[in-house]
Amino acid sequence: MTRPYANLARRMTIVALLVALLPLNGLGLSLYYYYNYANTQALKEELRIRALNRASAIELFLAERTALLEVLAHGARLTQLSNESELANLLSIMNRRSWSFVDLGIIDKDGRHRAYVGPYLLKEQKYLDAPWFQQAMQKGVYTSDVFLGYRQVPHFVIAVKHENGSDSWVLRATIDSDVFNRLVRTAQVGKSGDAYILDRQGRLQTPSRLGGKVLDPAPVDLGSVAPGSSVVERTTADGRQVLTAFSWICGGKWLLVIDQDPKEILGPLNLARNVELAVLALASLFVVVAVFILVRLFIRQLQRNDEERAAIDAQLAHSARLVSLGRMAAGVAHEINNPLAAMSELAGEVQDILVPSELAKLEEGEVVGENLERIQNQVERARGVTHRMLKFARRMEPHLEGIDINDVLRESYSFIEKEALFNNIKVQLDLSPNLPLIKSDRAQLQQVFLNLMDNALDAVGQGGRVRVSSRADGAWLTIKVSDSGPGVPADLAGRIFDPFFTTKDPGQGTGLGLSISHSITQRLGGSLELENHPGQGATFVVRLPNSPPDTP
Amino acid sequence: MSPFKVLVVDDERDFLESLVRRLQRRSVDAAGVTSGEAALEHLKVHKADVVVLDVKMPGMNGIEALRHIKQLYPEVEVILLTGHASVESGVEGLALEAFDYLIKPVKLDELIERIMEAFDRRKVVGDLAGSPPPKQG
Repeated sequence: MTRPYANLARRMTIVALLVALLPLNGLGLSLYYYYNYANTQALKEELRIRALNRASAIELFLAERTALLEVLAHGARLTQLSNESELANLLSIMNRRSWSFVDLGIIDKDGRHRAYVGPYLLKEQKYLDAPWFQQAMQKGVYTSDVFLGYRQVPHFVIAVKHENGSDSWVLRATIDSDVFNRLVRTAQVGKSGDAYILDRQGRLQTPSRLGGKVLDPAPVDLGSVAPGSSVVERTTADGRQVLTAFSWICGGKWLLVIDQDPKEILGPLNLARNVELAVLALASLFVVVAVFILVRLFIRQLQRNDEERAAIDAQLAHSARLVSLGRMAAGVAHEINNPLAAMSELAGEVQDILVPSELAKLEEGEVVGENLERIQNQVERARGVTHRMLKFARRMEPHLEGIDINDVLRESYSFIEKEALFNNIKVQLDLSPNLPLIKSDRAQLQQVFLNLMDNALDAVGQGGRVRVSSRADGAWLTIKVSDSGPGVPADLAGRIFDPFFTTKDPGQGTGLGLSISHSITQRLGGSLELENHPGQGATFVVRLPNSPPDTP
Repeated sequence: MSPFKVLVVDDERDFLESLVRRLQRRSVDAAGVTSGEAALEHLKVHKADVVVLDVKMPGMNGIEALRHIKQLYPEVEVILLTGHASVESGVEGLALEAFDYLIKPVKLDELIERIMEAFDRRKVVGDLAGSPPPKQG
């Protein structure tokens, strides 16, 4: 591909790629990122609702247990509650529907157990200084945070104070940690998530599946947690990217934390998203390949069209030049004929005057007479030239007439005869006699024969042989011009009639001769072919239809 | 030679004068003018049997002059003479009933032969017609 076509191809490719790929990838990538975003948003909302839901469940649980204890504290009599077997009975009744209380105790206002039922040895313990006791005495109802206490086991209690005039006592129950922990655990999402409760100091109230035992500090910055319910994307202390829902419960006492690994849920969705990326990449690749191929094909076709058109233009220009050449020749001939006519008459008049008897009187009468005769001869010779030029010019205009092919061949030969002689090239004319006249255009045929003969001379160079033959083969007249030159190389033979194709050196011809000859023979209803024998010379074969001329 | 009259029309003076003199030397009653207009003027006054007419002249060209002559003096035979050989003017000339069409330079003997042929034809036509044609000068 030549330079300007290469440039055009490059520019077209770039534009096509931009136009095709930018929107495609723009759309694909924005879908990708939006898909990501939309999924995450959906997940976050789901998590938030779940957190709200679980928070309500936990608060309800605690509220119900507290209500139960309040009923007991205000409904039963102290005598009843101080009786341990009665207390045990009440405990079992409270646990009947759903097990939630580990133990139950009555503590007087001095912080001493009046009665206790439960698995721990706490009967003799004193609670006057216990923070939960003080809170209960103060507020009347109190749910504690998780603490170790005397039993040295993490637990939390609900305490309800009963006041009776100056006397007061506290009914205290321990909530079963397993039950409570299981409740909180239901908030967990998936196998890789986590759910736990923190107190206001950030200590775990329920165990974290991944991050610690109860009462360990959890790696959550409570200061940055918004009030109410919220969902954030955060990185955990061990570097995981998680979605976390926070929900303050029990009036801001505890914080429910639900961690979710988005990848676990989004995994299959992410697969779809990655498939989209792969398809996008494949589509882009396809576009790139297609663009390259199509641009290449297009440019090649363009080049071919341009060449064809240039060839046709050249042919037309060539024909036009020939016609104007003919006209010029006619003009010149005419200009010369007039002076020749004058010269002929003037010399003739002198000859009229100087009749032989007059010439005899002159000393050099013989010379005078002869010179006059020679003047007339030269005029005659010049006349021959101009008349031939005029005949030639007339033939430049195409028209059909009856043609004797051999005559045209001989005439064409006469043009190159001198050159062949000069280069020692032997030209053999093997013309079949009595060829029928055919209807064709003399000037154009002469052009073709001249072209073939010229090429033959060029091919053989010094001392070669050229043979021209003519035959009648039924419906065709066959004319062959063979040379003893090197022939046409086999790989170039197919292109020999292409416009602008030449095996000569640059500047030694336009490469149009054979192309024009080829189209002329086709237009005249015939054909021009090459019988190639590489190394043994080339033979060009012209076939013309054997159609008789119109009868005059 | 029969006493027939020839008019030569050509804008090239050298050629014209020399040719007229040579014809006269051969006892042809020849006259010469240098333009188509002058030829028509001449024919008003003088008789002519054959006109030798150059095709390419400034002013009225040969074909035009031929047309006028054939219109006004149909019995006059015209031989067209020219320095260039365009097929069209030849065909046109012959269509307008020129007797012949010759390309310069022409040998005098050939020209005189043609003139005599033209005159002979005229004589035959004239005889067949019976009476001399009208509009004779």
